[in-house]
Amino acid sequence: MRRTTVAPPAKRSAPATGARRAPATTPSRRRGPRPRGGWTPWLYLAPALAVLGALLVYPVYQLGLISFLEYTQAQVSGGEPTRFRGLANYTDLFADDQFGQVLLATVGFAAACVLGTLAVGCALAVLLTRVRALPRLALLLAALGAWATPTITGSTVWLFLFDPDFGPVNRLLGLGDFSWTYGRYSAFLLVLLEVVWCSFPFVMITVYAGIRAVPGEVLEAAALDGASQWRIWRSVLAPMLRPILGIVTVQSVIWDFKVFTQIYVMTGGGGIAGQNLVLNVYAYQKAFASSQYSLGSAIGVVMLLLLLAVTLGYLRLLRRQGEEL
Amino acid sequence: MSRVRLPVRRPWRLAAEATALLVAAVVAFPLYWMLLGAFRPAGEIESTEPRPWTASPTLDSFRRVFEQHEFGRYFVNSLVVAGSVVVASALIAFLAATAVTRFRFRFRTTLLIMFLVAQMVPVEALTIPLFFLMRDFGLLNTLGSLILPHIAFSLPFAVWMLRGFVRAVPESLEEAAYLDGASRARFLWRILLPLVLPGLVATSVFSFISAWNDFLFAKSFIISDTSQSTLPMALLVFYKPDEPDWGGVMAASTVMTVPVLVFFVLVQRRLVSGLGGAVKD
Amino acid sequence: MKLSVRLAGFTALAAVLATACAPQTSGTSSSGKDEKTGTLRVWLFQEVDNQPKQRVVDAVLADFEKAHRGAEVTVEYIPVETRAQRVKAAFNDPRSAPDVIEYGNTDTAGYVKDGGLADVTRDFDAWSEARDTDPTARRSVTVDGRVYGAPYFVGIRALYYRTDVFRRLGLRVPRTQAELISTAKRVRAARPDLYGLAVGGAYTYGALPFLWANGGDLATGKGGGYASALGTPAARAGIEAYTSLFGDDNCPAAKCASWTGNDTVTAFAAGKAAMAIGGNFSHAAVDAGKAKGKYAVVPLPGVRAGSIAPAFAGGNNIGVLKSTSHRTLAVDLMKRLASKQAQGRLFDAMGFLPTFTDVREQAAAKEPFVKPFVDTLAAGTRFVPVTPAWAQIDSSLVLPTMFQEIVSGRKDVADASADAAKKMDDAFGSAG
Repeated sequence: MRRTTVAPPAKRSAPATGARRAPATTPSRRRGPRPRGGWTPWLYLAPALAVLGALLVYPVYQLGLISFLEYTQAQVSGGEPTRFRGLANYTDLFADDQFGQVLLATVGFAAACVLGTLAVGCALAVLLTRVRALPRLALLLAALGAWATPTITGSTVWLFLFDPDFGPVNRLLGLGDFSWTYGRYSAFLLVLLEVVWCSFPFVMITVYAGIRAVPGEVLEAAALDGASQWRIWRSVLAPMLRPILGIVTVQSVIWDFKVFTQIYVMTGGGGIAGQNLVLNVYAYQKAFASSQYSLGSAIGVVMLLLLLAVTLGYLRLLRRQGEEL
Repeated sequence: MSRVRLPVRRPWRLAAEATALLVAAVVAFPLYWMLLGAFRPAGEIESTEPRPWTASPTLDSFRRVFEQHEFGRYFVNSLVVAGSVVVASALIAFLAATAVTRFRFRFRTTLLIMFLVAQMVPVEALTIPLFFLMRDFGLLNTLGSLILPHIAFSLPFAVWMLRGFVRAVPESLEEAAYLDGASRARFLWRILLPLVLPGLVATSVFSFISAWNDFLFAKSFIISDTSQSTLPMALLVFYKPDEPDWGGVMAASTVMTVPVLVFFVLVQRRLVSGLGGAVKD
Repeated sequence: MKLSVRLAGFTALAAVLATACAPQTSGTSSSGKDEKTGTLRVWLFQEVDNQPKQRVVDAVLADFEKAHRGAEVTVEYIPVETRAQRVKAAFNDPRSAPDVIEYGNTDTAGYVKDGGLADVTRDFDAWSEARDTDPTARRSVTVDGRVYGAPYFVGIRALYYRTDVFRRLGLRVPRTQAELISTAKRVRAARPDLYGLAVGGAYTYGALPFLWANGGDLATGKGGGYASALGTPAARAGIEAYTSLFGDDNCPAAKCASWTGNDTVTAFAAGKAAMAIGGNFSHAAVDAGKAKGKYAVVPLPGVRAGSIAPAFAGGNNIGVLKSTSHRTLAVDLMKRLASKQAQGRLFDAMGFLPTFTDVREQAAAKEPFVKPFVDTLAAGTRFVPVTPAWAQIDSSLVLPTMFQEIVSGRKDVADASADAAKKMDDAFGSAG
């Protein structure tokens, strides 16, 4: 596997050590020749800003607005006037037991998915560096396959694998006609397995690329000192990979917190008596099945705020490490 | 390669390799089972003694998929959506990434934060306002209602990822180009773009996946015009909870997965190095 | 980098980009156009075994397209379970809405309130065949004296049972509800490969007869003010009786909790259940399965011996959307789809009971199969509260959630029914 990027080799081996490459050490390279383009950068940015403004910022604004209104089917059809309700939608939401449960389930489920994905991804990335070309290629290709699988096909295929009547998994584990989607936790576990399956490749490949950029001498020195595998990972690799780990963690949090298709398809829209609802699906059901658009929007806003908090935490972390954006 | 390899003792390496192969098999198993299910005769799928092979592969399930519904059309629709999103978001993101890496201007960092924050937005929650927006644009029931939002949602990540690639192009190259009398536009399209192309490919994987996978927008925005349906919707036709046609589901899944697989294998090298490049800078 | 300053900048930018205007409403007013050519879109429900229905519909469409040159029809068969989302989306965007839809009679009030259905009173009254429409069916398309569609078929549910299984096990056809439950469990005990009575946690209309037979009701009141009656002892007794059927001794909750009515019928048709509560409309699906020729149908027994549990007066209608730009064509298509001839054919193909009294009598005379359903109909049927709130209660799965909570052991009957009653009252309060 040869590298074919445009990056000059000198830059490629160093950057994983983000903490060391503080911007202050190379001020002339970073700041000096970069042209002050006047209006040019804005010209380049114009299409992106236009698209984002119209299709992201404006809808987010509308989402916020709807969450303060009384907005149900009657209003949408124009039968009744929209009414400003202030925070009433939010108080309704937080007074609802089910919302609390769904919120808790979402956070717990996302956390489990992130941990599972990171653990599997990192472990396999390290494993990749320990094996010769053939097993490595096999694992890489399998991972790419899992990554490439569209979410919806992944969900249906996993359902089929765990089908109580026709699936091979129950047969293999001798579980008879145990129904995975019936119990709350077994259903979550099934979805979790699918989520980890389709999202660990991103972590694995990214971390693997990062480890390869770590100078061999460092690792050799550590190994000669008699450090164990786990110690090498903890004391040498992990600190060097911290920027990469930061990014894959944040991406995983973003993706896993927003899981929709898997839950929707695998648990049939939220499971028995709504036991497997997560915020995203809950918002969708509230809005589109029950036509309570304002409640659905309020749930969306809560999700947005939670993710925003994660992002801000991440940015703070970056800043403390002296990273430049 | 040897640069990375640790001095590992032989038995350990063999164990590691065995583990790697085993994991690869487990990871690939769902895909294998999907293919198997697609090629199995109907009676064998609904058997309570599933065997991991089939003695009599058949194309029946595929035939059913392509005959019963306008599957070919949905396939083309999906390609159109994913293709438009990939091309449009790559170009727009390329321009934006150039702006934020090769220029200094007020609000640059603000914008970067905005691109990061934009990734947080739960797309699904925006289905509600987007529905009304698309309605007001008169785009509901058309592929446009799927393309536009996906361009917007794949942009922030694409810009974020492309930055590293654009930055990696030496600035001396840019100066040299200007000294040779190249205009800014010429530098952008003739010199920078080809150099950043591998990065664009890695980036486009993500926009391709998100557009190809889309299920919620298709479900919500393509209201009644079935000629504008995409593959995920068609797949759900076969997956009826009360009597799923597993053969059809698996065949449809295969048809839906193969293009992405091909795409991935094609860009695989660039993806691995690209991801490394993107997150390091 | 000063994060707070940057963020303030971002917020300001966002505020500038967002123009301040409230989300618009769509105004599902009529389009005002009445084109005589073009494509008409039709949504019909996907049945368990849809092929025969499709053939009947195709024949109607062929005639229609012959009669109207330049008019084309595309039909989409949509799943009943997620119809609410589809139909509402259509109401929200008149431009992409279909022209003609099939809809359940429980949705009439809600759809009319949402302003989605066209008022076809005059066309209906001028239609000669409509005079034979039975009064119950006519009521199911009427809101405040105006007619919003043509009745398509009547759906009545009764008890399907496997004659071969009963004979071999020496069982008697149950005559009371208690007997029904004990018979189901005896079958399961003797034949663990079969469900005694296939039931579903999401099978509202299969559960309601148990509620009604025990003297309970969904809600009390009329017109503007409804109040949920789920919490009454009678209703609870009914819920208790229905949910006692979930378990390893009849229909394991792990499977049956998530089942809908279609699932139970599918299980029966596939020969996996000794009994099921199926509709006259399930006839074709059952005949297409393994149970063909080995079953019979009787009215679902009530609490007292010899009584019949009140059935839900189900049925579907065909309506024209207010937003159609082909009103004349759409009304004609509605009439053709719901005509005496089409309903007669639909009965032959699917077992759907016609809504015209004369056609129904002919059908009953021709097919003894219909008798238990007609008997059930004659014994008196019940209906869900006639209010727009019902559509919301239905689509937010209030009753399925209640049943599933009970059968999965998460809540007891009292708690679950109290919670469901509260949700219903909220809906009655907000949607009126």
